[in-house]
Amino acid sequence: MELTGDMRLTAPRDKVWAGLNDPDILARCIPGCEGIEVISPTEKSARVMVKVGPVRARFAGQIRMDQVRLGEGCTMQFQGSGGAAGMAKGQSQVELSDEDGGTRLRYNVHASVGGKLGQVGGRLIDAAAEQMANQFFAAFKEQLGEVPARDATLGGESKAPERTHEIAPVPAAMAHPVSGAPSPLQKVSAVPSPLAVSERVRILWFLLGSLSTGFGVWIASLLTRSAP
Amino acid sequence: MADLYPISITVNGKLHKGSVEPRTHLADFLREDLGLKGSHLGCEHGVCGACTVELNGRVVRACLTLAVQADGGRVQTIEGLSETGVIRDLQHAFVKRNALQCGFCTSGMLVAAKELVEQRPDASRGEVRDWISGNYCRCTGYHSIVDAICDVLQERKAAPFGHTEASA
Amino acid sequence: MKAAAFDYIKPTSFDHVLDLLQEHGDDARLMAGGQSLMATLNMRLSEPALVIDITGLDALRGISVQNQHLRIGALVTHAEIEASPLVARHAPMLAKAAPHIAHRAIRNAGTWGGSIAYADPAAEWPACVLALGGTVVARGLGGERRIAADDFFLGLYTTALRPAEVLVAGEIPVAEVDHWWGFSELARRHGDYAIVGIAASARRAGTALHDARIALFGVGATPVRALKTEALLNGKGLADINVAEAVASIRAEIDPFSDLTNSTDTKRHLAGVLLQRMLGTSQA
Repeated sequence: MELTGDMRLTAPRDKVWAGLNDPDILARCIPGCEGIEVISPTEKSARVMVKVGPVRARFAGQIRMDQVRLGEGCTMQFQGSGGAAGMAKGQSQVELSDEDGGTRLRYNVHASVGGKLGQVGGRLIDAAAEQMANQFFAAFKEQLGEVPARDATLGGESKAPERTHEIAPVPAAMAHPVSGAPSPLQKVSAVPSPLAVSERVRILWFLLGSLSTGFGVWIASLLTRSAP
Repeated sequence: MADLYPISITVNGKLHKGSVEPRTHLADFLREDLGLKGSHLGCEHGVCGACTVELNGRVVRACLTLAVQADGGRVQTIEGLSETGVIRDLQHAFVKRNALQCGFCTSGMLVAAKELVEQRPDASRGEVRDWISGNYCRCTGYHSIVDAICDVLQERKAAPFGHTEASA
Repeated sequence: MKAAAFDYIKPTSFDHVLDLLQEHGDDARLMAGGQSLMATLNMRLSEPALVIDITGLDALRGISVQNQHLRIGALVTHAEIEASPLVARHAPMLAKAAPHIAHRAIRNAGTWGGSIAYADPAAEWPACVLALGGTVVARGLGGERRIAADDFFLGLYTTALRPAEVLVAGEIPVAEVDHWWGFSELARRHGDYAIVGIAASARRAGTALHDARIALFGVGATPVRALKTEALLNGKGLADINVAEAVASIRAEIDPFSDLTNSTDTKRHLAGVLLQRMLGTSQA
């Protein structure tokens, strides 16, 4: 499975970085995240309950971070097991750059899925991965104070999955200003000391990796052909 | 968690009562509880067709049917169909055409073929192939199975086989 | 593979079903035909505490014509639709599509409502309902509501159904004499999930088509309408449609996901092939 995303967020890069660094924000953005544990400074484990259609698969993943460039990007290796459902492993990369006062976020994920998930879910792996990415980034943007571009009452599902996650420019009449005035979330992720930052970075990229692992397991959690 | 559910199912004309966990599918009930091993488990998710049986007169996947769902119903397995003689010509044709090697798919194939020859007596070879495409065979390469079914279609048209109708 | 243990109940009243859904939430799964659910359970991709068998709700059966609509109850099986004279007369696309659904044994048990509520992107019924401008009828705690097909399929296995809500019927506007339709599906083997499929319908005023609806399945997370290609068809007679233009349009309009056996480009190409074949043959 290969998944790439390219989106512009209206928040400036340091705020995006800080948001991505905040384990609480990430735990809120990863749908079904049940817990995160620190194994070592560069390794974390996560438990996520995946829901796609009728499928429910609780997976446990490990992520190892390397090549962290503070404020700019990171590479992660990950692997996860979905119990009876199968397993996934792979790597992902995230890059942030400044753009027009906001941030351009690019990511790519390469994952291989094995077990039942890979066998019966193969035809929908890409679709499910994209759905999860949409859910994560919709929640993440909300955490950063951006107003969702689509009707949020549909539970964050966009009707037509987009390959590049472009957001419409936020009109001035929006209730929540997205630039300038600090939001409660941004206060939570106020800049800590350098040591804590690098630790948070690792946690954060770890969580992104667990999300990616989640993709691999989630997307593969699909049914076989027996039509209803 | 689950209590045992009492069920009573008429299988091959005989009423059987049992107690099953809800999660028990019909194929396991037939095989394990009733000792009717003729229906086979190939994939247990409905695609291979080796578990095909008749439930209330219609072919179904026994692995995708809960035993509790069949409560009060009538099931015909390959054993029953064989005993009543309704598939005798199909069985003879399968042997004559070498349409089985290991025999794992054969019970499902015969149940599917029975429905075809009854419902589509004018089926073409292409239609036969489509009809049995829900039954996988790993041994024969299918052609001999299709040949056997086509033989029976021809025979039944030429001289309607004097088989007994299966009683429910 | 054997399913994990679960409790089983077969309510005889609709209110009981709603009570159970409210009480158990995500720990319960509704079962109609069970042809998708049972596979999920057997593979332990889902381990609900309770399975609610709704096949005891006879009110959800039956095919009838009401108010210019063909109403098909949620529990009607694919085989019943395949064999129904009412369907053949009033919604011939469904009769054509039904044999593409898996195989006989599955069709004898699987249901119309189950397929639509499950909303597999490569399934036939969701695309047909979308192409025919059908309506989903759902009933929940707030009573009954009708949801247009255009508003029903929201995302991968995600529909507009609310948590304690049950799809009770699907309605299709009856085919008038001016009804034009087409249905075409490509699969590796007969009965497989579609690699790509098209369900299309339109009305004819004189020779010109209008209100064209083209629904593709197997190319996205939901069935998708090719709106721009529909616009190319509207106002033109079948003989006057620039088929090459329509084919190019549908290829440009869709963004298919790849899968294990077919790349994005292949699916895109095949969608065009199906449209080309469809426009070459008219279905009265």
